[in-house]
Formats: sequence, C-alpha cells, structure tokens
Amino acid sequence: MSPKNNPVMVLEKVCKRFGGVVAADDVSFELEPGQIRGLIGPNGSGKSTTLNLISGICDVEPGIILLDGEDITKKAIHERARMGIARTFQHPRLLSRCDIKTNLFLGHDLGNMRRASGASQEIDQSVDELLDVAGLKIGMDDSIKTLSYGQQKLLEIIRAILTKPKVFLLDEPAAGINTREMDRIRALIAIAIRNKAAVLLVEHSMDLVMSLCDIITVLNFGCVIAEGVPAEIQGNEAVIEAYLGRRRHA
Amino acid sequence: MTLQRKIFGLVLLLLLALALTLPFTVSNYMLRVCNMTMITYMCVVSLFVIFGMAGQISFAQAGFWGVGAYISAILTVKLHVSALVALLASGLGTAAFAAILGLALFRLHGHYFGFATIGVVMILNGLFQNWKPVTGGADGIANIPPFAIGSLEFASETSLFYLIAVAVIIISIATYVIYRSSLGRAFMAIRDNEIAAKCMGVNCYQTKVIAFAISGLYCGIAGSLFAFVSSYISATSFTFMQSSLYLVMLMLGGYHSLPGPIVGTALLMMLPEWFRFLQEYILLIYGLGVMLLMVVMPDGLIGGGKQALESYRNKRKGVANVAQK
Ligand SMILES: Nc1ncnc2c1ncn2[C@@H]1O[C@H](COP(=O)(O)OP(=O)(O)OP(=O)(O)O)[C@@H](O)[C@H]1O
Ligand SMILES: [Mg+2]
Repeated sequence: MSPKNNPVMVLEKVCKRFGGVVAADDVSFELEPGQIRGLIGPNGSGKSTTLNLISGICDVEPGIILLDGEDITKKAIHERARMGIARTFQHPRLLSRCDIKTNLFLGHDLGNMRRASGASQEIDQSVDELLDVAGLKIGMDDSIKTLSYGQQKLLEIIRAILTKPKVFLLDEPAAGINTREMDRIRALIAIAIRNKAAVLLVEHSMDLVMSLCDIITVLNFGCVIAEGVPAEIQGNEAVIEAYLGRRRHA
Repeated sequence: MTLQRKIFGLVLLLLLALALTLPFTVSNYMLRVCNMTMITYMCVVSLFVIFGMAGQISFAQAGFWGVGAYISAILTVKLHVSALVALLASGLGTAAFAAILGLALFRLHGHYFGFATIGVVMILNGLFQNWKPVTGGADGIANIPPFAIGSLEFASETSLFYLIAVAVIIISIATYVIYRSSLGRAFMAIRDNEIAAKCMGVNCYQTKVIAFAISGLYCGIAGSLFAFVSSYISATSFTFMQSSLYLVMLMLGGYHSLPGPIVGTALLMMLPEWFRFLQEYILLIYGLGVMLLMVVMPDGLIGGGKQALESYRNKRKGVANVAQK
C-alpha cells in the first residue's frame, strides 16, 4: 500500500464480546481519505460488529477509536454521524413508510447540518446525477416499498453519499443484487472516493473486493489474521485456511 | 407528493369555505358541536405529531388537554389574568410540562413509553379530581369568563367559532410545515427506523422530546379554548377514555397523512349527532368499528382510499399494457 499515513480514522485494539462470543478481538487498522479498505472474513467473523463499533451501535470494550485524532469511543451514534461517519447496512435500513424523496432528504439534512457547522462542504454531485449513476429511474414520490432489494441498497448508498462522509462504511453492498447493479455500486463508491471519503468495505464478493480495494483486512473469529494488498491476501495461507476450514461460497 | 398535496389543499379549501358560511346555515347547537369538533381535532393533530409522525404512541393527550384547560381557568378565574395571556400560558405551559415529562419518559423504549403515558393521564385525572385548593376538586372550576382580546369579546357561539377556526388553521399549517421540514423527517425517521435515524445524525431522545412538547402545545391551546367555550371545567372531561377516543379518530382517518385527523375527527364527532337514535349503542358501534377498521383498512380511510385509487390506476395501466400487446 502507499503509506501516506495520514489516517482519518484509527482503531486501536478494539474489542467486543457478546456473552461468550468474541466478536472483535484487538482489532486495529487505519482508514485513509480516498482509499478503500476491504474487510473480509467468513460468516460470523465480526465484520458487521466492527462496523457497529465504529458507528457507535455497539459499545467498544475495551479499545479506542479515533476520528481526526479525536477519541470518539464514548460518543453517541448521532454525534459520530454528525462528525462524518456514514454507513449502509447489511439489510437496508430505509424509512419504510416514507417516499423516496423523504429518504434522500434525510441524507441532505445531515449534509446541511454538517456544512452549517463548517465540518464539510457541498458535494460535487446533485441528487439527480447520483440517481443517474445508480441507474435508478424512480419517481421521487414513490413509496420505498416499490423498490427492489438492489435498488434499496443503491438508494441507501446515495443517502450516505449525500452527507459527504469522511468515513464511509459499507456492509455487503453487493449481497443479493444483480451484476448490472454491481457496476452501479462500483460507480457510487468511486464517487464517494472522489469526495475524499475513507471507505471501509465489508463484502463477500471476492471479485468486488479484489478489484476495488487498496488494502484488505481479514477477520476470523474476531481476530485480524491478515492484512495486505489484494495480491498478498489472495496467496495468504492463513486466509485460505480460514475460508476453506469453514467452507462457504464466495 | 402531488396527490397528497392536492387532497390537503382541497380539504383546507373546503374547511375554509365551511368556516365562512357555517354560522349562517346551522343552528346554535350544531355550531357548539362544530366548536367541540375543532377543539377535538387539535388534540387529534397533536397525536398525529407524536404518534403519526414520530411513532410514539401516547395516551397522555387528554391529560395535556386538561392541563391547558386548568391553566386558563385558574389564571382567569382566580388570578384575573387576561384571556389572551391565559391562552398563551396554556399553550406554552403545557408544552413545557410535556417536555419535562418527555425528558423522563423517553428514557423508556418502545411500548414502555406508551404504557407510561397511560399512567400520566390517570395521575393527571386524579390530580384534577382531588387537588381541591387548585383545581376545585370534583366541583371543577365554574364561571370562566368569555375569551376576549382587549374589549373585543368572544361570547357568542358564532364568534367562538371563528376564534377556534383561526387556531385550527394555524395549527394545521404549522403541522404541515413541520411535516415537510427536516424536523418532520427526523420524526418519521425515528418512527420507521430508529437505528437508521441515529446513523443519519438524528438525536432521537431530543427529537422525541420536541415532538412531545409540540403535541403538548397543541393540546394546551385546545384545552384553553375548551375552558373558554364551556365556561365550566371539571375532571370528568380529561380521561383515559378521551385519549383513547383521539387514537380511534386518528386511526379511523389514517395516521400517515395530514388529512387523516380531519376526516377521522369530523366523522366520529358528527356521527353521534346524525345517528341520535343509536345513542345507547354508540360505544358498542365504536368498538366494533375499530376492530373492523384494523382488519379491513389498517391505514385508515385516507390510507385505504389512496390504496384503492392506486390499485385502480395500476389495473387500468395493466389493461392498457395488455391492450398494447
Ligand atoms: N447483537 C448481538 N448480540 C449477540 N451476538 C451478536 C450480536 N451481533 C453479533 N453477534 C455475534 O457476533 C459474532 C460476529 O457477528 P457479525 O455479525 O459481526 O459477523 P459478520 O462477520 O458480519 O458475519 P456475516 O458475514 O454473516 O454478516 C457472531 O457470532 C454473532 O452471532
Ligand atoms: Mg455481517
């Protein structure tokens, strides 16, 4: 990787336990603006948990998370969002009883709030442009229920981009979508990168991860078992072991 | 939302036209019913804000209505404050009361908040009933002077009608503005997906308190107007039963959109007048109606109507598509 070492986010020995299950065990890595870090690992290895720890949905215990050098480990979810952490979910979390416009405006509202406090600038793209890139030909007044699963995932990504995040967490954006939508997701991530976001991409599709990511972290049972550029990870013994040991479709 | 806008505009226009002409066309008694309907509507809109928009079910609304009524009654009867000041005090006082209550109760999550509000309306009712030196106990407070702005007195049913209509229009427009604002979106985000709301920077706790305070404001104003309209208040009006009625009205009209409260309130307030001969069975009919409604039209009349319209359109589209092939 290119060690610019100007990270916007730092995780230092972050841990999380659910009863007896260790979901995150001394997880450490850094995110840099304009870079994509892949976070992969078998089912239940703690990928979603790591995103939850960063966005504040789960409490870190123990460990430290820094954003722009500031310790955010104890901050509430909405405070972190206002500081520039945006995310999507493994299963899209949209406002199910609202129309598409309202869902997008919600992202706009946070963007405005961040701009008003001087924390961010206007993004270069308009909502129409983003919808175009996503290939979403939808009526703004349509209900969320009219969207397909893939369209919901795309809309959720656009909603996050509208906040102009510093850190953008994506949880399996490509799961359950078709190949055409896959390209749309690539294009949207590219836009987030152009807006200087640091992207953390959780994904099972090796195709997407290997082609998009600048650097990859591999988790197994909550532990980081490997870190490196895609070529290194593809040949890594421990990674192959982890995936083959608990076989799964990629 | 062009359809919604059209419907809302239409309803508002109708209401306005009605407001201008009603006092000349109906009896004094009917006018009193209309006044009470508008007052009830304000409380139902308050429930639309806290439940319809923010998704937090509340049975406290009739209690807030009472707080507003008692504030105005006590201020004017015992302290001889002017009516206009009393009205403002009722609105702001009840809003503040709701906000403080919200700060405590929104520590609870999900249904527990709703349960707690049942306690609120019961405690308030007990307070109205028993705190004799302040609320007059079971005797209530009588001889509330008519509403007045300076020397302009609103004593007749007709003048009260216009006064309340103005309040109704202001509250309706305010609610519409909130509905379209970032605050309204924050409410709806909390209702639909609290985690998503938080991740989009919404301070859910604070936002719920704001929604509750706004609902308190509406009920407080409605309560004050109720005190001036009836010139006598007692604890028997401000009950859990009344709160439940608000909920039924909201569910009947539909709690997803603004016209819902108008339709629901108007129907449930007017029906007993039209079906006088069924008076003994009215509660039974309500009960059966609510159960039927939840099965057949869970989104209320407005929601159900919209759905019917949409499926009719889709059917026509479908027919057109088939015809093309
Ligand atoms: N809220 C929770 N309560 C209890 N256990 C949890 C919770 N969230 C996650 N876990 C457990 O933590 C472990 C890691 O789960 P996590 O969802 O982070 O895995 P993942 O890597 O995202 O898996 P997948 O690829 O299936 O999405 C699992 O054993 C899971 O059962
Ligand atoms: Mg997961």
